[in-house]
Amino acid sequence: MTALLISNILLWCLLIALALVVFGLIRQIGVLHARIAPAGALMVDKGVAVNQPAPQVTAEDLLGRPVNFGYANDRTQLLFFLSPTCPICKSLLPALRAIDKARDDLEVVYISDGEPEQQRKLIKEFGLEGARYVVSPQVGMTYQIGKLPYAVMIDRQGLLKAKGLVNSREHLDSLFETEHLGAATLQEYLNKPSPSMHTPS
Amino acid sequence: MTLDPIISIAGALALAVILASAALHKLQAPAWFERQLDAYQLLPTSLTTVTARALPVLEGALALGLLFQPSRIISAILAAGLLALYTLAMITNLLRGRHDLDCGCAGPNSQQPLHPLLLIRNGLLIALAILAGLPVAERTLGLFDGFVVLAAGAAILLIYAATDALLANRPRLLALTGR
Repeated sequence: MTALLISNILLWCLLIALALVVFGLIRQIGVLHARIAPAGALMVDKGVAVNQPAPQVTAEDLLGRPVNFGYANDRTQLLFFLSPTCPICKSLLPALRAIDKARDDLEVVYISDGEPEQQRKLIKEFGLEGARYVVSPQVGMTYQIGKLPYAVMIDRQGLLKAKGLVNSREHLDSLFETEHLGAATLQEYLNKPSPSMHTPS
Repeated sequence: MTLDPIISIAGALALAVILASAALHKLQAPAWFERQLDAYQLLPTSLTTVTARALPVLEGALALGLLFQPSRIISAILAAGLLALYTLAMITNLLRGRHDLDCGCAGPNSQQPLHPLLLIRNGLLIALAILAGLPVAERTLGLFDGFVVLAAGAAILLIYAATDALLANRPRLLALTGR
């Protein structure tokens, strides 16, 4: 009798553990789906050319601090163009915050456009109170941003190193890759012949 | 032959948690639920607001009623009726061909279009409600019975949550494979 009882208790515990694992797995599949879902074109061919000096603008962030774009700086700048009415922009904000936190040599600037009330709500929702958050349509116009969410990377010398429409965390990461590799876009890099491949001459 | 009480209590416990969570997400987003109810296009507009306010309260009351012995049977019958009403609302809209309508099953954060599979899920929930409402044999319950009730309730809830997540993943998978 005792053996049966113990076996029964053990089986219940194992069943619950198994159900937990199944539930966790399905949730992970859901997260993966959400991450791979929006795959869009990376480059919108207008505005400033890559590897050229970025246009110089100065704007004020919401805390009243001046932010210089396109000037020589001690840190690389990542400009993230967003709008409170754009759902994909919001889905990228946690990833941007993580990047901001992980890299000391990088300054993330959020550039938004829209009503002050919605901006406040967005900042509160994503905990961006301390971040460099600029509300200025002028910056977007200078960089000729037509589509959102858009990201631009400017290096320390004020050169525009990478830019593109970013629909997912992968697209954001690809900007860092292109900056690192020195190619204008990841597509361009992939189309280049690989230096490690020896072609018979 | 009557049912052993632990089967029906475990069913009631799981159903109570499911109803309570449904009531909670409706209470947290009343405006969203009102729009959702309106989107089903079943009630005259004048009744939408009243129904949207009353349904979560009813769900909460049923959840509470299911937990206690004297009110369990009547709560279980009413819960089965409520779930049957929800299912009928889904069937009506599916027959109208509205496969793109969000079912509104799991709160504003998870969108899930109407699908016949949801009817099966609701059917199983109704079966759970009936199980909780069946007459049971009289016997005193010991410590081990309590453990089995909690364990079975937890297992039912976890499997329910997993099934729900699977159903929510389905349209994303279809979008990914392009079928």
